[in-house]
Amino acid sequence: MVHVFTYHDKHYIYDTGSASLHECDEKTAKYLSDAPVAFTDEELKEILADVNGLKEAGLLYADEPKAYPMKSGEVKALCLHVSHDCNLRCKYCFADEGAYHSARETMSFETAKAAIDFLLKESGNRKVLEVDFFGGEPLMNLDVVKRTVYYAKEEAAKLGKRFLFTTTTNGLLLDDDAIEFFNAEMENVVLSLDGRKEIHDEVRKTVNGKGSFDAVIGQIKKFVKSRGDKHYYVRGTFTAKNLDFSKDVLFLADEGFDSLSVEPVVTDIPELQIREEHLPQIEKEYEILCDEYVKREEEGKGFNFFHFNVDLEGGPCLSKRVSACGAGNEYFSVVPNGDIYPCHQFAGDKKWRMGNVFEGKLDKDLREKFAASCLFTRRKCDGCFAKFICSGGCSANNYHYNGDIDIPYEMTCAMMKKRIECAMHVLAERKSREK
Amino acid sequence: MIKTIAKPAQKKVTGCGECRSTCQSACKTSCTVGNQSCERVTREQKIDNERK
Repeated sequence: MVHVFTYHDKHYIYDTGSASLHECDEKTAKYLSDAPVAFTDEELKEILADVNGLKEAGLLYADEPKAYPMKSGEVKALCLHVSHDCNLRCKYCFADEGAYHSARETMSFETAKAAIDFLLKESGNRKVLEVDFFGGEPLMNLDVVKRTVYYAKEEAAKLGKRFLFTTTTNGLLLDDDAIEFFNAEMENVVLSLDGRKEIHDEVRKTVNGKGSFDAVIGQIKKFVKSRGDKHYYVRGTFTAKNLDFSKDVLFLADEGFDSLSVEPVVTDIPELQIREEHLPQIEKEYEILCDEYVKREEEGKGFNFFHFNVDLEGGPCLSKRVSACGAGNEYFSVVPNGDIYPCHQFAGDKKWRMGNVFEGKLDKDLREKFAASCLFTRRKCDGCFAKFICSGGCSANNYHYNGDIDIPYEMTCAMMKKRIECAMHVLAERKSREK
Repeated sequence: MIKTIAKPAQKKVTGCGECRSTCQSACKTSCTVGNQSCERVTREQKIDNERK
């Protein structure tokens, strides 16, 4: 299928079959969209020549591929919930302010060690494995994080494998010791910061009900400054209270953070929840952000906004694109008592418990359900231009909003499509500057 | 007038499984495979660049 869209005065054509992006003039865009427009004979002849040329080259109206999803049966990543406790009480927390609807507890080293053993055993021929330390707040259990990293590295080396570690933290306990450890061992660090102080403080509260911005900003800055060329993301959440979130992204960029991700909230709290009536403003915000993003890149002051990346030339292969995220099949989360869930968003919901690291086996039926789930089982995606880029969305979001991992949540889809169009515009502008 | 901005490079290998789990990449909520690059291509490019 062909998706024709306009960004300000630029007209783009994205061909889903070939995954190629083209720019065209207004009349060609109207012709391809079946919009009413008058052509001269010469204009029509020129348009048809262009269209037919691209068709012959396989870059327009190309057949959509039907690749098999990657379902190897190898486990390659674990999200370790080292702390089901948190030192913040964020209003929108999907994890029940860190406790995941259960007792506040931390993971023992024995459980973390069993999780590493489980991953190594189930990883087959996979050489590079990933572990994400998650919570709650993982820095509340830093000693176990450290011991787990050292143990995992030692065991992996014996098998000719290696680990990539990530930690997601709110930064409150990010002291010099943690900074040094993270810089030595973490491939990526995700730091939670929502943007402007008043926005952050409105939802990200300490246990005593105070805003946490002032308590975290200094250490997060210090950490990022020390990070060198290693990966990090400052990651925020926007809610119904800051639909003007482009200001928050730009605030973070102005604070010196150059690797950013700001996500729509996942919550059913009415005052914070993103609703359908918010969509026009959200789409507008993405455009405002995109315009400034392009402008800053032109001025040599660019930054990286996660969702404005789309790698059409060297991106993931088709098998990956139809496989979705791998949750429940090659990626799992492990909670403090060792129970295994498809991913962190399912953690604590017993219906989705898939096993325990001490048992060392996974629920066959649940795993097969997730292994079978892919772009082609998400039938609502059939007619969507974005499908080979988003893979049918997040299984957990689909389940939480629509009761089925294979039914995409329309609100997420709408935002995703807008971000992808912005990303394509960013790519086109970048290419045009390279010439 | 139509001009091509980007088209996929021919891939030598597909389905190798070396790519990272999407949700580990940054956002932890709205996973987007297309935001990622191919690990294998990226690694090979890095090696090529180091050789130059």
